[in-house]
Amino acid sequence: MSARKSERIMNLAICLLMARRFLPREQIRAAIEGYHGLSDGAFERTFERDKEELRALGVPVETGSNSPLFPDDIGYRISRDDFELPPIEFDAAETAALGLASTVWDSARLADDTVRAMSKLRAAGVQPDSDRVAGLAPRMGAHEPAFDALWQATLTRTRVRFTYRALDRTVEPWLLAYRRGAWYLLAFDTTRGEERLFKVSRVTGEPRLVGQARAYDVPEGDLEARLANLEPVPGGKEARVAIADGAAPDLRRRARPDATPAPFPGYSCYRLDYADVASLTGDLAAYGPQVIALAPAALRRSVIAQLKAVAGWGAA
Amino acid sequence: MTSADQVARLLALVPYLQQHPDADLDQTAAVFGIAPAQLIADLNVLWFCGLPGGTMGDLIEVDMDAVENEGRIRLSNADFLSRPLRFTMDEAMSLVVALRALAELADSGLRPAVRSALAKIEAVVGATPRVGVLLAAGEASVRDAIAAAIDSRVAVELEYHGPSRGVATTPLVDPVRVSVRDGYSYLDAWSYERDAWRSYRLDRIVAVRSTDRAVADHGEPPVFTAGWLDHRPDAVEVTLDLGPDGRWITEYYPMRSVTPLRGGGVRVTLLVADPVWLRRLLLRLGRAVRRVQPPEAAESAVAAATDALSRYGA
Repeated sequence: MSARKSERIMNLAICLLMARRFLPREQIRAAIEGYHGLSDGAFERTFERDKEELRALGVPVETGSNSPLFPDDIGYRISRDDFELPPIEFDAAETAALGLASTVWDSARLADDTVRAMSKLRAAGVQPDSDRVAGLAPRMGAHEPAFDALWQATLTRTRVRFTYRALDRTVEPWLLAYRRGAWYLLAFDTTRGEERLFKVSRVTGEPRLVGQARAYDVPEGDLEARLANLEPVPGGKEARVAIADGAAPDLRRRARPDATPAPFPGYSCYRLDYADVASLTGDLAAYGPQVIALAPAALRRSVIAQLKAVAGWGAA
Repeated sequence: MTSADQVARLLALVPYLQQHPDADLDQTAAVFGIAPAQLIADLNVLWFCGLPGGTMGDLIEVDMDAVENEGRIRLSNADFLSRPLRFTMDEAMSLVVALRALAELADSGLRPAVRSALAKIEAVVGATPRVGVLLAAGEASVRDAIAAAIDSRVAVELEYHGPSRGVATTPLVDPVRVSVRDGYSYLDAWSYERDAWRSYRLDRIVAVRSTDRAVADHGEPPVFTAGWLDHRPDAVEVTLDLGPDGRWITEYYPMRSVTPLRGGGVRVTLLVADPVWLRRLLLRLGRAVRRVQPPEAAESAVAAATDALSRYGA
């Protein structure tokens, strides 16, 4: 970090912010001490870099001409309206909510962004206060290696290329969503020509942004509903199980009682929706003797095979 | 730290110090997430910044004596930089998504404030990109009852459908806070039954019954992180060799270590505090498990499987 460079860029920002008109380069060069003593070439390079650094920080450096007769007489300025955070005020309950929100991210990069956002609010006179809401400690992670690139792509509407299930794809991100502790990306897969849901943790390789920002439109309407449609859902098939009384409350909550008498005393019958035998097998086997699969036969066979595999460890 | 970070900070620091005349050095450093020495370096840069021309009266003034001797910051002559820069999209969205997460979790007392703060931020940013948050935060009535109990400092009896033991329980607890880990919301509370701090997943709490028993002082609750089992004295280390079909568990549970095995499998080491939890995990994994170390850790699962098979007549 160079203090001289920070000083020069700050002075450039202030100079352009105070300008009533577009300032030509030579005038900027004369006004800012940090540009004195540079050769023409060195000044050009330094000024270009400084300008880009300001833009990267979100400072709206405009380029234009003061005269319609001489449109090639280019100058620079920063419009105060575009630069300044508009007036914003929060009541006590809202500042408490903001204070709490600033502690949510469990991700260094996003936490840094929040710190910067909050320091801007403080600089605008807001006093966030997290002490008021004791008893709430929300945390949200974003530890998936591909997350940062996909977050950038979604925010800027930039196409992004990555590998998923061993296939290279270029996609247009629509919605990034946090579900059950994991991030998902709803996107249009241009390689396949279809809308798809990607689990961010399964993206392999470093995703690369491709082309310009704001390169495509995100469809209007309820994207969350589209995402829900693409999520694997239980249902389609129905199983019959016997559950020991008082056992497996979380399984019983997704089941319907069934009037058929249970084959064992102390058990009751239930009906359960499921999507595939393999995953329900694990769910049922986990309860051991407390949950018994009755039908269909394929499910019953699968659970028996699973239990035999585990019982077999004892014989080995 | 880059010069860009410093410039971004200076652009907020100048209006901040005008909003907070005679600001405390350490406190200001904490607000900006930097060390006091860095803040002094920042002030030394500002000393050379100001209106074009750069003569004495045009530059920002900082009383460096007061900074160094009293730890107070007095900045003046900076009217031209009295408002902070607009939010970048990253900054705005980090805050917007955090507020959306909070709205999912908040009880009905807090939620209106979260929603209105969110609306104000969104109004400043304009159209926001699509980032959605859904936390498993249980029923609003459960969150309200818990918030009320935390507020009035009374114990509650939960009706809890815990996953690990497969039975409903009704623990009596002193509630302290609601937290989120890995996308699920938990009530952190002191359990009288266990005589220890415990976490209860909110979407598994079916009912909350308030009592008139005032909460006792149990000291500070521990900070539970994703790997909070690490800190439990009664936890045992168990190593599993898994086939490719068992790899999914590395995405679901905190792991001590994960090593790839030949053929697409993995060797994972995890800390197990509850033997019932391990039994259920092993039964669920079944054939995906190639080896359990120590072998005794599998005994309870083998017994449960044998018992279950007798009911299948197999």
